[in-house]
Amino acid sequence: MAKPGLLEVRDLSVGYGGEAVCAPVTVGVAPGTALGLIGPNGAGKSTVLQTVVGLLPPIAGTVEFDGRPVDEREAAFRRDVATVLDDDAFFPSLTGTEHLLLTARGHGVADAEQVVAEEVEEFGLADRAHALPSALSSGQRRRLALAAAFVRPARLLVLDEPERRLDAQMRRRLAARIAAEVADGLTVVFASHDPEFLSTVARRVLVVDDDACSVVSPGDAVAALHAG
Amino acid sequence: MSGTAELTGVGVRRFTRRATARRADTSWLTLGGDVLSALTTAGVVVAVLGGAFSALRGRIAARPPAPATDLPGELTAAVAALVVAAGVVALLSRLGPLSATPAAAAWWLPLPADRRGLLRGDLQRVGAVAVVSAVVVALPVVLAAPAAPTVAEAAVTVLAAALLALTAVGVLVLLQARALTGWVAPVAGSLATAAVVVPAVLGTVGPAGPAPTWAPTAPDLPLPVLGGVPLLVAAVALLAADRVGGRVPAGALRERGTAVLVASVSALSLDTRELGRALGTPVHPPRRARRWARVRTPWQAVVAGDLAVTTRSPWRWGQLAIGTALPVLAARTDGLGGVPALVAVAVVAGWSLAAVALGEPARQAHGAPAADRLLPLGARDVVRARAVVPLAGLMVVCAVSAGLVGLGWEWAALGAATAPAWAGAAVRGGYRPELDWSGPVLSSPMGAVPTGVAVTLVRGLDLGVLGTVPLVAGLLLGAVPPLLLGVALGWSLLLGLVAVETARRTGP
Repeated sequence: MAKPGLLEVRDLSVGYGGEAVCAPVTVGVAPGTALGLIGPNGAGKSTVLQTVVGLLPPIAGTVEFDGRPVDEREAAFRRDVATVLDDDAFFPSLTGTEHLLLTARGHGVADAEQVVAEEVEEFGLADRAHALPSALSSGQRRRLALAAAFVRPARLLVLDEPERRLDAQMRRRLAARIAAEVADGLTVVFASHDPEFLSTVARRVLVVDDDACSVVSPGDAVAALHAG
Repeated sequence: MSGTAELTGVGVRRFTRRATARRADTSWLTLGGDVLSALTTAGVVVAVLGGAFSALRGRIAARPPAPATDLPGELTAAVAALVVAAGVVALLSRLGPLSATPAAAAWWLPLPADRRGLLRGDLQRVGAVAVVSAVVVALPVVLAAPAAPTVAEAAVTVLAAALLALTAVGVLVLLQARALTGWVAPVAGSLATAAVVVPAVLGTVGPAGPAPTWAPTAPDLPLPVLGGVPLLVAAVALLAADRVGGRVPAGALRERGTAVLVASVSALSLDTRELGRALGTPVHPPRRARRWARVRTPWQAVVAGDLAVTTRSPWRWGQLAIGTALPVLAARTDGLGGVPALVAVAVVAGWSLAAVALGEPARQAHGAPAADRLLPLGARDVVRARAVVPLAGLMVVCAVSAGLVGLGWEWAALGAATAPAWAGAAVRGGYRPELDWSGPVLSSPMGAVPTGVAVTLVRGLDLGVLGTVPLVAGLLLGAVPPLLLGVALGWSLLLGLVAVETARRTGP
């Protein structure tokens, strides 16, 4: 018998102003598994992710997290779901460490400074952790945003092209880290264009398309990515 | 990860504020100086406004014979207050009232902290802005009252306006939490348009002579009821707003916060074009797409496209109506109408508003220059073609407006003769280059003035104002001699030509 999904998406139609950007999506994500999303630019991957985490209202269909309709206004939902979408926004007068501490303390992490120090090291930001965001490179800001997802507890992690703006080494480290977290029970949903990242992390892949959205194996997805 | 108490919304705000303050270089002395400076400025503004309105009251007492109905000054002041209030309400609904900057949306809203506590600071800020706006709006109404108001009367009126503003903020937040603010800005815009157009029309078609004095008066009720009820309503609205603040979706907060950020940056950098884009309401696609069946030449394509851009937004119609009626309202107002300089100011204000509305296609073309290169038309010809719609529109606006100001066909002809200059101004303003902050700085009593920026900002308006000089001469003369009409037409055509030919620097 299949495990009940932590995230259940049924007949979800997403878009703007009532116009769907892709075919309806139906997929379930079991706890401790990772679902990848692929599709060409503009296919609707980011829109699907934003709707799944409640930032956009669905045109039709439902999204349930842990058996309840998604409502990002609920503290319980925000406690359980970490997101790193396409935001590149930071408080200009807070350092990198302060951003991470704010996130950790906001989630009631007891040993916040210790956890933040570890993630700063893990994401290669040790030298720049006390710099203001304006003094960080684009890639370093991306690392900072990603680190924020790991300084806090979460049951579901939603990432939009996490490999974006990262160097090859950091991409591999991040993929290995996420795969390890999935093995430890974290559920991950992410969009990606990187075949290596996809094959390292994903157990199943949702192909987002205009005609039909279907779930395929990572192998088939990687083949599709290589085929362009 | 072991757990401890999560930060509350207030705690998150405090953490951010303290971290920011640690590296801020603003001392209490500096803050005190800034507060003192703001209070002094406010005092000077109130004194100047009071002096101006007192002087106007004196003029009204010795008013000249009126050609049509004289609208009481206090009515026009109330219209001005209503227009500003409608503008503030529309602005608040466009920008929130509650919003989260991109940084707050990325780092605050995903936290499990109570959103109500996170947004309370924003609610307080918006409330303060509304109160200040209400005071500024209420002052002219109080000071324009036929009898000089006592300090107590002025204070009560201003307080009532402030409470009304706080109630409006509360109601807007309640609507925002239910995603129901979409109708607010269009209704406020319609109200503002009607508030300007209706008195202008009534003042023109009504019987000649002064209209009866009009002033808003408070109902004859006991003071506790009179003061207590608005206070109670405002308090209830704000408490309800605070309660539902946490129910506003993150997506809406982030979208409004981005608009606030772009608008703030644009306002600080004096980039009015970007400010307009940030505050503009999205235009909905038409039910039926245009087929352009009658378009045969590139010129017609430009004109047809411009016509679609101009007529598709209801805001443009409102701007054109206000632009037409504003000079008429000033001319019909008791006291104002007898002062040609004030009527001229209203003419320039109204017609520049109409020129801005009709310059929208040029502004959009400047933002997307590739669109201009799609047609087999030289760059200069595209700009010339882009003057057709503004010319047609301003012919109507200027002719109707001037005709009703002077109440005669010769005035309408003078207005129409001025239209080419304003059409040129619309195109020239639309193709205005980006602001140039590198120019020399001019020392002035108000501080340093960056001349490059100032020259760019008045681009368009400059030639429109010059083109209005013959009409101002007519207002001073109180008549339109045929010679003046001929001079106005020639002068306006010359300026319009210069404006269009210099609107955009073309490549080699």
